[in-house]
Order: sequence, then structure tokens, then C-alpha cells
Amino acid sequence: MSFRWLRFDRRKSELDAELEFHRRMAVADRMGRGESEPEARAAVERELGNVPLAKDVTRQAWGWLFLERLGNDFRYAWRQIRRSPGFAATVIGTLALGIAAATAMFTVVDRVLLEPVHFRDASRIVTLSETNRNDKISYNVPWLDLQQWMEQSHSFSGIAFDSGWGNGRSYLEGPSSSLNINATEVSSNFFQLLGIAPELGRTFVPVKPAYGANENTGQIVLSHIVWKQFFGGDKNILGRNVRINDASFTVIGVMPSGFKYPVAAPFDAQVWMAIQLGDQDKGRDWQSERYHVLARLRPGVSLASARAEMQTIQNRVIINYKDPDERAYYGVAGIQRYSESLVNADLRKALLALLAAAGVLWLIAAVNVTNLLLARATARQREIAMRGALGASRGRVIQQMLVEGLVFSGCAALLGAALAFTSVKLLTHELALRLPIAVPAAPNISVLLGLAALTLASALFSSAWPALIAVRLPIEPALRQGGMQAGTGRGHHRMRGALVSIEIAMSLTLLVSCGLLLRTIYSLRHVPLGYRTDHIVVAHLNIPQFRFATGNVLQALYNPLVERAQHLPGVQTAGLISEVPLGHTFNIGLTLRTDKNSEIASALKVASPTMQQIFGFKMLAGRFFNSGDTPSSQAAVLVNPAFARIYAPNKHDPASVIGMELWSLRKNQPGHIVGVLDNERQTTVAEPSQPEVEICLCQIAPDVSAYRISTMAMDLAVRTDRPAAQIIPELREVLRQATPEFAQAPISSMDDIVEDSFGSQRLAAHLLEIFGLSALLLCVAGLYGLLAYIVTQRTREMGVRIALGAPRGNLLWLVLRQAGAMLLVGVAAGSALAWTSSRLLRGFLFGVQAHDGWTLTLSALLLFASGMLAAYLPARRASRVNPMEALRAE
Amino acid sequence: MKTAKEDYRNRIELLQGTLDMLILQTLQWGAQHGYAISQALRARSGEVLQVETGSLYPALHRMERHQWIAAEWKMTEQNQRARFYRITAEGRKQLARDRSKWDTMVAAIASIMEA
Repeated sequence: MSFRWLRFDRRKSELDAELEFHRRMAVADRMGRGESEPEARAAVERELGNVPLAKDVTRQAWGWLFLERLGNDFRYAWRQIRRSPGFAATVIGTLALGIAAATAMFTVVDRVLLEPVHFRDASRIVTLSETNRNDKISYNVPWLDLQQWMEQSHSFSGIAFDSGWGNGRSYLEGPSSSLNINATEVSSNFFQLLGIAPELGRTFVPVKPAYGANENTGQIVLSHIVWKQFFGGDKNILGRNVRINDASFTVIGVMPSGFKYPVAAPFDAQVWMAIQLGDQDKGRDWQSERYHVLARLRPGVSLASARAEMQTIQNRVIINYKDPDERAYYGVAGIQRYSESLVNADLRKALLALLAAAGVLWLIAAVNVTNLLLARATARQREIAMRGALGASRGRVIQQMLVEGLVFSGCAALLGAALAFTSVKLLTHELALRLPIAVPAAPNISVLLGLAALTLASALFSSAWPALIAVRLPIEPALRQGGMQAGTGRGHHRMRGALVSIEIAMSLTLLVSCGLLLRTIYSLRHVPLGYRTDHIVVAHLNIPQFRFATGNVLQALYNPLVERAQHLPGVQTAGLISEVPLGHTFNIGLTLRTDKNSEIASALKVASPTMQQIFGFKMLAGRFFNSGDTPSSQAAVLVNPAFARIYAPNKHDPASVIGMELWSLRKNQPGHIVGVLDNERQTTVAEPSQPEVEICLCQIAPDVSAYRISTMAMDLAVRTDRPAAQIIPELREVLRQATPEFAQAPISSMDDIVEDSFGSQRLAAHLLEIFGLSALLLCVAGLYGLLAYIVTQRTREMGVRIALGAPRGNLLWLVLRQAGAMLLVGVAAGSALAWTSSRLLRGFLFGVQAHDGWTLTLSALLLFASGMLAAYLPARRASRVNPMEALRAE
Repeated sequence: MKTAKEDYRNRIELLQGTLDMLILQTLQWGAQHGYAISQALRARSGEVLQVETGSLYPALHRMERHQWIAAEWKMTEQNQRARFYRITAEGRKQLARDRSKWDTMVAAIASIMEA
């Protein structure tokens, strides 16, 4: 650029020289014809005419003038900012707030909804599943069905499969430490299907799936993070033997950084092994392995036509299921874009609603800045008129004011982006709780493009109107009148008042949404859970299964661990449960058979008898587990009210379920239902529980079918009088002594777990609190700015009024009335807007209606009161005008 | 807010096609500087055409950008530095095009006026 300017400057001086030569020659010619030098000079000047203009037009022929002018405009805009830093700070700060909110939300939406995965041509990758005809729940697919899909379908260029969520309870063993990793088994063509090449080495050799071992058996691909963290980025890693869960694998490749699969897995430390088909893949019953299926749509094949083809195939596949219930469970072929399968519909709606809210905040900020720039355009009337008088065209003045707007919004964008990424960073915990995908606190290309678009839009939106109005004013009166008191018609004030009212209306919408979510959180906190959550500390444990593969995990790990935790000072009771209520850590679903041989789908939990003391579980009927329940005694089973409601012989008497026999918990031996828990909120606070059965940890033994799952994960819960912060380090030490893998186990208080379970509502509430408060602040500032400006403009009028005997109270009232009118119009319009827009929030609300009169009234009152408070300051100033000074000022 | 600049532009537009042609024609006899071009046009037109600087130099610079003419700083006979313009091959082609257009137009106008 500097080179170009250099050339530009040289050409400018060349043009000067060229014209100077022309002038000299003309003068010399005339003198040669006998004119005197002064005569000749005067005649030549007349001939030449307006030389600077001629130069201007010539330079235009170079095509560079536009750039030159733009440069001047930027320099001028910069000088303007430096001359009135207060004004510039207000404008930039306001816009930055709006841009920050919009950018932060767009970053989240972009990552989670638009670009959740970075696979090649990711929009053509779909998940295939078998879906229940009735409740639309999707299931993973057994190999035999999958095999038929592979043979018969033509819509896909490839079908790959994997073990689904992967095993997050795997440990990579090193000489001195072990790393908790997420291990997923994948089909041999998996990486080719995703279109991701390894960073180092190779991935699996694509082979036709067949039973038994193949060339991929015993090989492993590492994620970039595992390679860096655990192996220090060793280039010679290929061919190395690593041990995972006591089994040995050969490293064949390392995936590039940023590759993650399963995308929504809690760990970034991941490894992939090849699936080996075996006996577990030879049937279609509850013992068969089920796989998560990915496929790549052939170019030109639509989702709809692929779905139609899959359904035709599934109609043939389903004949292999004999049980009519099973035919209903697996009857529908499910197909969905992979990126969409990661985010459920509720969350999608939540994010879009929040993006809209951020957009509204941006609009408020932009309107506010429009108002500020309008005020300044009025103050600069004389300057603009002067430019016009000196020959600047309207287009030129508009361009210059737009450039000023661009400089403002450019600065605001820089500040806003910094603010946005800081807040994304600060909100990481909240975001991670509810979003399936980690949101990076750094911009990518599309976010940068969005930011650039937002910057341009802000500049245009806020400065175009003031610029147009400024150039439309006639030049002469502005120059003649001058001074501060130059009249700016009623229409102008009315328009600025309307802008403030619009701001107020939009702010009210945000405030109402915020209010509704705060009420939702309040209601959620006051739902009777059916158990206590105070004074409980919970550690979530992923059990390193390989350490306890032989022997009994109860004797080797659980019993001593509980014993030690129990004896920590200040601990009243300790116990284990496969997942604490609302924990969202480890769900076990199973199918049970009743004595009448019908199937029951239910969630399962394994719990110590001490859980009742810790959580204060109340019984609706029957008893909790007790010391009488031992591995040798009859298997005791607890159920929750949801279970009793569906499966009890007498639907209206939950107690009638007691004594019912449940099969397939133990081999050849039924379990008996001994109690019904009075416990309605197991997985989420907002919704009643699904059917659930609990069995006693003390009855678990290696020959019980629930043994395997109870060796995967456990939550250790302790009830204690001491503050959580004090007990956690001691508890962590106990865990570390039990097995070194537990050293990093997450520990939190039960109250926090409940609070975290509010997830998207809490995230939305937090964000809307920020948005709502910012909006309130902005519109109060906007109102104050306008009134202060009007009062300044009307100082003389106020002075005259006072001189003529108007009581000062009247003047106060005069200004307040004006504010009141703007507020009333804004609140009225805002109420209508809020009434319609709060319907968007319906999916989030709990314990409060979308159309809640109280919330609306309170928000409106809050807005009105803050508005009037902001108006009071200028109003008081108006009433204190000194008539002598006001009149003398002219 | 009609400015002097707009007047200039109008005059340039009016002359644009023909002025370019006249300049190219003048340069056919050899490289010239701006002042000499204006003098030549004036002399050859029998003092009728007076090209203003505000039209001449923008036209020269525009034609230079189109690469119809090339410019170079040289010494005049009076030993002064001046910017000399010479016609290029592309400029000759343009002159031929302008010329035939001009002939057609003159013929057309003449036939209308004499009808």
C-alpha cells in the first residue's frame, strides 16, 4: 500500500510539473507576440481556468481519486474521534456491547448448529438407526440387520459402523501413570468414510466385515491429544505396543488435532480400535451387540429418497423379528444428518432463541448509536453546510459520514470481539454442561465473516440515516443562523423520540424473556424432588475395569472404599450408587421379564442400603434395602412410582406392585419387588421420571447379570456436616488410595449437581440476564441522552418561560411528561412484542406460562421506573435554568 | 448545489469522442507535449478550436491509461523538461476506428441536412 501511495504522490507532482510547463510555454508564447509579462500571465491564468479542478479531474482519470478521498475520510474520522473522545467512547462502547452479544452467540450457534463436525463434505454423512414406531426412539443396530442394509441399499457410497458412545471407562496404562481415555471400536472403513486422513501413519485396512480376527485386529489409532499428552508427541510412536485395560495394541496411526469421535464424548483423549465381529453378532436378541451406523449419501441422492429406500429394506429386515413388540420397536428405518443428530430439537430452539435475543440487543445498540449520531449531525449542521457551500457534493458528504460510521463500528467490532471471546471463555462451564460440542473461544472463518458483516451493517444502520438527513438540510439557513440554538424542527425530535420508543419496546421484550426464565429457575428449584440434596458430596468414578477383571470388585474396591470414606471426620454416611439422581453420568437401560412373561423396559440403578440415609429417600410402600439383603438372600428390587403406575396389577395402588417377580436380573432366579420409592425426579427436575428399578449393591456378585455394568461406573456419595470445600481434598485422598486412576475423578456437591441439571434453562437465564440488563442500560442511556440534548436545545425557551413567571415545577413536569410519553409508547409496543415473542420460549419454561401477566407487568414497571429516573436528571436541570444566563447566551 | 466541476464534466463528455480522435490525429506526425498539442489543434482548426486544460490533460491521462498513447519526460528544443506523448500501435487502431465512425456520422448528418 505504501508503495502505491508513493507512486501516487510522484504522479501528483509530475502532473503539477506538466501543468506548470504548459503555463510557462503559454506565457512565453504571448510575450513572444509582444505582450508584457503581467498581461501575458493574467491572460494565461484566465485561459487555464480552475487549475486545481483540472488536476482533480485528471487524477480521476487515473482511477485513484476514490482511494485518495477514502484515505482523507478515514484520517478525518480519526481526528473527529480524537477531538471528542467522550462521544466516541459512548458510541464505540454501545456498539461493542451489541456486537459482542451477537458475536458470542453466533460463535456458539456456528460451532454447534452449523459446523459441528469437520469431516469431509460433512453434510452428506447421515446416521442410520432402527426406530420405534410408537415413541420414535432410535436404537443402534445389530450386525445381521446392518449386513442386509449394506447388501441391499444403493443410496450410499459407503456404510460404516462403530460401538456407539465408546467406552469412557478405559485407561491407557503407562509405566508410572494411566490416562482415562474414550475408546471406540470402529469398522475398518470408518476413517475413509469420514474422509479424514491420519496425521501420522495410517488407519485401518478396509476389509469386508467377517467373523473372526483380521489384519486390523490388535491395532490402534490414537487421537492427537493422546499422542501429545501421553507420548510427548514421539515421532517413533508407530509400531509401539500400548496397553489399554490390560490388553495390548500396536499403534498404527495418529489422527490430526481437532478430530474427535464420538463428537459429543466428554473426553478429548480418544483411541480407536477395529471392530471384530464374533458370537455376539450372530443373533438379534438382547445379548447381541448393537452398532451406531454412519453412511455417506451418494452425490445427488436426497435424504428423502434414501429414507424411502431404507424403509423398503427395513420392511424386509423386520420379518426376521418374530415378536410383534420387537417388530414395532425396530420397524422404522431412521435416517438423520449426523450433524443434526448431535443436537436435540430443544437445544436447537434454545440456541436460536438466544441468537435472536442477542440480535435484538444488537439492534437496540445500533438504534442507540443512530440516535447519538443524529444528535451529532444536528450539532455539526454548520460544518456540513460549510462543506456544501465550498463545493462538496452530497454524495461526498454522505461518503464521509459513512466512513466515520465505519471507523466507529470497526473499533467497536475489535472491542466487541474481544469481549465476546472472553465471555465464551468465562461461560465455558455453563456451555459445556448443555452443549454436546465444545465451543472454542477463538474465531474461525465464518465467525470472522459474520463479524465483518455485522461491522458493515452496524455502520450502515447507524450512520446512513443521520447522513441522509444532514445533507438534505438547506445550506443557507444553517449558515445564517448558526449557533447552538439553530432550530431542528419538531419532526426531527419526534423521530428521535420514536427511536427511543423502539429501543424501549425491544428492551421490554428481552426483560420479559429474562423474567420468564428467572421464574422458571425459581420454579425448578422449588420442585419437590422426593429426596434431600443438602450436605451431600458426590464423586463420579469411572472404574478401571482391567484392575478388577478377576475376583470381586465389591471386595476388592467398593467395600473398602465405602469403609474408608465412612470413617473420614465429619462424614455421617457413605455409600455407592450407579448414578446419583440428576447425575447424567451413567444410564443403564434394560429389558426385564415379568412372571407373566411380558417385557418391561426400564432404567436400572444399583445402590448401597446406606443411600436411604444419605438422600433421605422416602418410601411410598414397602421397605428400602437393608442389611438383610445379601448375595445369598432373595434378590430385592425397588421400583419408582412411574414403574408402579405402568406395571402394578392395580393401577391405582402402587403398593400392589410389591411382591411382583422380575426375571433376567439373576440367572434362573427371579427378583422380588420389596418397595416403591417416593421419588418422582430422577433424571430431570422438569419432567417426571421414567420407569426405574433399583437393585442392591450388596447383592451383586460376579454371577449376577448386573455385575458387569456395576463394575463400569459408580457415584460415591457421602453425607457430611462439613463444608464441601473442606471435605473434598480428604475424599480425593481416600479415592487415590483406593486406586490411582481415581485421582482426577470429578467431585461436586449434590446441590451443584441439581443446579447443573437445570442446564439449558440456566444457560438461557444467565445469558438473558446479561442481555436484559444491557438492554435496560442502553435504553436508559438513550432516553437520558435524548432528553439532555433536548433540554440543552431548549435552554433559551426555558429561560423565557421562567422569566415570564412559569413555576419551576411546571418545567420539571414538561420534560418528565415528554419522557413519560416515550416510555408509554415504548412499553405499549413492547408489551405486544413480548406477548408474541415469548411464545418462542415455551419449550424452556417450567412452572410459568409463556403469557405471564405478572412478569410482563413487573418488567414494564422496572423499565418505566428506570426510564423516569433517567429523565429526572435533565428535567431537574431544565427547571433550574437561570433566565438571565439563558437569554444572555445568545 | 450545481458546481463548476459538473460544468467541466459536461464539456468533456460533449467533446470526448472527437477530442480523443483529434489528439491521436495530431500525434500521428510525431511525439508532442500537451501545450504543443493544444497549439497544433488551434492552428490547424484556423483558431476555431480552443481546447481547455481542464479537458486536454484529463483526456491525455485517460488515453494513456487506455494505452493509446505513451508518455515520456524529454527535453524540448528550448532545453526544458516536458512530458511528451506519442501514439502507440493500439492508438493507431483506435484512430482508424474513430475515423470511420466519424466519416459515417458526417455522411449521415450531411445527408439529413441536405435532404
